[in-house]
Amino acid sequence: MEELNYIILLPVIAGIILFILPEKVKMLKGILSLIIAGITGYFAYMLYVAETGIFKGVFDTSEYATDSVMYKLLNGIEHYWSMNLDSLSQLIVLFIAFFSIIILIYSITSVKREKKLYNFYSYFLITLGCAFGAVLADNLIMFVVFWGILGLTLYKLIKGYDEESSAAANKTLILIAASDVIMIVGIGLVWVINGSYSMSAMNVSTTSGIGVMAFLTLLVGSFTKAGAFPFHTWVPAYAQKAPAASSAYLPASLDKLLGIYFLARLCKDLFVLNEWLTLVLMVIGVVTIIAAVMMALVQHNYKKLLGYHAVSQVGYMIVGFGLGTALGIAAGLFHMINNALYKSGLFLSAGTVEDKTGKENLEDLGGLSKAMPITFFATFIFALSISGIPPLNGFASKWMIYQGIIDFGKEPGIANQLWIIWLALAVLGSALTLASFVKFTSGIFMGQPKEQFKNLKETNFMGWFPMVILAIVCIGFGVVASSVVVPGLFEPIVGPIEYIGIWQSSLVGGLILISIVVGLLIYWIGNFKNFRTVDTYIGGETAGENFDYPSPGFYGTIQNAPFFSVMYKAAEKRWFDVYNLTKSIVLSTGNALSRAQNGILTNYIIWLFVGLLILLIILM
Amino acid sequence: MSELVPLFVVIPLASAFLIPVIGRFVPWFQKSLTLLVLLFLTILSLSYLFTNTGETLAYKVGGWENVEHVPIAIFLVLDGLSGFIVLIINMLGFLSAFYAVSYINKYTAENNFYALLCLMIAGMNGVALTGDLFNLYVFLEIAVIASYALVAFGIERNQLEASFKYQVLGGIASILILFGVGMIYWLTKTLNFADASTILAQHAGSPTVTFIQVMLVVGFGLKAAMIPFHAWLPDAHSSAPSPISAMLSGVLIKAIGIYALIRLFFNVFTISSEIAIVITTIGALSMVIGGLLALRQWDVKRLFAFSSISQVGYVAMAIGIGMIVIARGGSQTVASLAIAGGLFHLINHAVFKGLLFLNAGAIEYRINTRNLKEMGNLAQFMPWTASTSFGASMSVAGIPPFAGFFSKLLIIIAAIKGGFFFLAALAVLVSVLTISMYMKYQRYAFFNKAHSEDRMKIKDVPFPMAFSMVIMGVLCLIMSLLIFPGVREIILDPAVDVLMKSSAYATTIIGM
Repeated sequence: MEELNYIILLPVIAGIILFILPEKVKMLKGILSLIIAGITGYFAYMLYVAETGIFKGVFDTSEYATDSVMYKLLNGIEHYWSMNLDSLSQLIVLFIAFFSIIILIYSITSVKREKKLYNFYSYFLITLGCAFGAVLADNLIMFVVFWGILGLTLYKLIKGYDEESSAAANKTLILIAASDVIMIVGIGLVWVINGSYSMSAMNVSTTSGIGVMAFLTLLVGSFTKAGAFPFHTWVPAYAQKAPAASSAYLPASLDKLLGIYFLARLCKDLFVLNEWLTLVLMVIGVVTIIAAVMMALVQHNYKKLLGYHAVSQVGYMIVGFGLGTALGIAAGLFHMINNALYKSGLFLSAGTVEDKTGKENLEDLGGLSKAMPITFFATFIFALSISGIPPLNGFASKWMIYQGIIDFGKEPGIANQLWIIWLALAVLGSALTLASFVKFTSGIFMGQPKEQFKNLKETNFMGWFPMVILAIVCIGFGVVASSVVVPGLFEPIVGPIEYIGIWQSSLVGGLILISIVVGLLIYWIGNFKNFRTVDTYIGGETAGENFDYPSPGFYGTIQNAPFFSVMYKAAEKRWFDVYNLTKSIVLSTGNALSRAQNGILTNYIIWLFVGLLILLIILM
Repeated sequence: MSELVPLFVVIPLASAFLIPVIGRFVPWFQKSLTLLVLLFLTILSLSYLFTNTGETLAYKVGGWENVEHVPIAIFLVLDGLSGFIVLIINMLGFLSAFYAVSYINKYTAENNFYALLCLMIAGMNGVALTGDLFNLYVFLEIAVIASYALVAFGIERNQLEASFKYQVLGGIASILILFGVGMIYWLTKTLNFADASTILAQHAGSPTVTFIQVMLVVGFGLKAAMIPFHAWLPDAHSSAPSPISAMLSGVLIKAIGIYALIRLFFNVFTISSEIAIVITTIGALSMVIGGLLALRQWDVKRLFAFSSISQVGYVAMAIGIGMIVIARGGSQTVASLAIAGGLFHLINHAVFKGLLFLNAGAIEYRINTRNLKEMGNLAQFMPWTASTSFGASMSVAGIPPFAGFFSKLLIIIAAIKGGFFFLAALAVLVSVLTISMYMKYQRYAFFNKAHSEDRMKIKDVPFPMAFSMVIMGVLCLIMSLLIFPGVREIILDPAVDVLMKSSAYATTIIGM
């Protein structure tokens, strides 16, 4: 299985070589990267259709003479370099390749304009190779190495040009790196229980305290990468400040795929969950959904709004995995793919809008639909999809999750008893998502066109093509969900799925498409030329900027409601942010300790002798 | 090759005396001689490691042969561990000296600088090689006295104050060490490591031996800046000229602190679990408190200095874990994993902390400040400094694929395998503190907005400084290879073996 080596090493080595090319030929670098990504896409397809299994010693050291340098260097590496190619990793590898190609196409024209973003394509390709490595690795040590490199490239794909952006970059890397170290502890604990680093040979029970600790420490890694509560706080900060291509690439698609992939491995292969851990997963899942969507509702910055949604959607996936049933896991994986599709699309369209208008807040925008029709329609599809409107893909996976929750309620268990709560909160989260995307689409694209955007043009082909592709996939996955997508992509992973409700997505989708076509026909036949267009009538006054009511204003009601106002104020002071909480605790401890370091020599000598005395008293 | 062993001490010692005499008349003599000497010694130590894997070489000063298995000569012993330390000392010494070629322009008295540097290196090489307790003390004093002078090299108020505190505390520590050495001589009637260890083995666990051990732990603990004996370090390391800070933080505290401590406690004393617990505890304390104190610093060099306390704490904790496991008769693989992690972190720390101090020197060289709040946006104007300091920061923070990640991985995994879950948790905590402080450094120094407009004119540092920094930056990355079996066998494994087979040292020397 040489492809297993090539798919990891080719992008990494190509990325390192790209460091040599100067920044002036960014376009060339982009095209070269696209070619490399295309080749890895081919490898990914080859792996998708290949035989599954554990591949040890893919690195064959016997090719080298025993006294050669390469042999000495690589001797024993086959111990670590073992790959697990099963239906789960095949699926993730395929989609990583897909998203990297789509986003590279978008980046070729957009990254050129980012002045201070150095070596974007090098880090892009290294990220790609390491993402494949992390998904395919069977050895936990090798896995955590690839996983850690991804945190580093994530940091390099955002540029620190001023206070806020460099603070966001710092927060991102600190949280990610902290989770990596915690994962090392988990790996050590797994070794203590199991005596092996091989993921495929593992089946750890969570009845002992040490097993639970191992699960939780590894879970931290997965949650931080995917951006789940309470380790999510880097996602909105990153999304607000990073270039669109970076946000679409890592937090929106690859990090979700990887984080959820690892969650799937944890829940499906590595550990046998007990009922309390199921409860923990369910609680974290619904808290993530609701808390993040509530924050998204009141944002004014549209990129930050998308960042909070990137968190909120993860909650659905966690709920899916928390269910632990075949239906639940399939629904979680399906939602992961869907989320990556529409969320990277949304980041790309947000990036396009920012690029064209230079505005960051919803208040300053409006009425762009006429100027940018393709972007508008694509965004509209994504927005409907993330809000769970049939027949789009977001509905399909959410519907599976709802069914899974109802099904889950039939079993005995603590978490099962509370099924109605999970269901209600998941549905509520979906409704709130719709509410905040009404604000997003209407704030940017609807309403009166503003004077300053009169001359706006649609983005170029490289800009809208990836969005259109993603939108088409969103529709396609939704319409053929029950007939093609779920049986084709997910049933090989989880086994046959039984639905409790009748669900024929093609039928529903077909009916909706027919009704749209019929509606359009009626619209055209009913001689629409007779419609008249007039300016907005405001009691005889001329409509101007001062009559424009920006869409975020409507959401102030929620922010000022009795209970919510307290919560929002606390959130504003960052009371719910692990990063800020820890930071203030650590800094105050440091300040207390530093009083002892007062520069007086006598004190220093006293410590020395106190230390000596204590040692003598203890040991003698 | 054993005839070559004394060269490590003799050559730098001789150059330290030649430089002030000849350097007065011949320009460039001091620089070229120092560089040549250190390059030669680096190559010599590398050639030892590559050709004599793990073999012990001993040079008997004066040629006195052992009489009835009693070593009577003064020994200079080069084994896996000494070779490892000597490599670090001379390699880092060479790179710092190369860096100093342009950096030291801003001071006068270049001859004195290079003479003191050579003297310090001669002392450290002596400490690493000696097989004799009193010689250990003498070489240690040579190294630290040179370092007192180097800390005060700028002769401004701060430097003199720092050097004075360092001298007083260092002097107390030296007295404690000398006292311990004297006690050993009184107890065993010998100063030779190997000979003393056979006699001390009979007294293992007696109150006298414990008393000696406490004296030595405190003495060397102060030299290694372990908490609560660390107070001198932040002032001293931040006041010295930057290449010297790199040597002090990167090498000196390890060569005369950690190395001497582990050499004595593994190869001379019998490992006892009480002392092992003491070393682990002060290691863990240094790690946590050093990290907490470092995070709130705004002076770059003070930040690095406090972080040195924390990182050396990591090393001490890892080695302490190995000692506890050995003393309790636990699994050999866990013990060797912990010790390998500690030594790997030691060499990593030498490189990345040395590099960080050189970076701080580069920033100070160009914009004349050490305050993070007065920097900003330097990445645009000083690309070499920015990229190398990024490599060093990622290595110390333990981000793969940089070398620091692997040593941290070994330490944490070893702690868990040994059942020290609390220590593993502390290591994780400190690792998070470490990444936070280095991200703070990255953010304020290299990103953010520029502090003032006239920064637009600055250039990156001259070639010798950039060269040293780039070499060390590359080392931060390629030292990850030390984890690979082929490379580990050459550099890391012989050093670990010396500590794992702790009684083999005495038998080898006595058998010669």
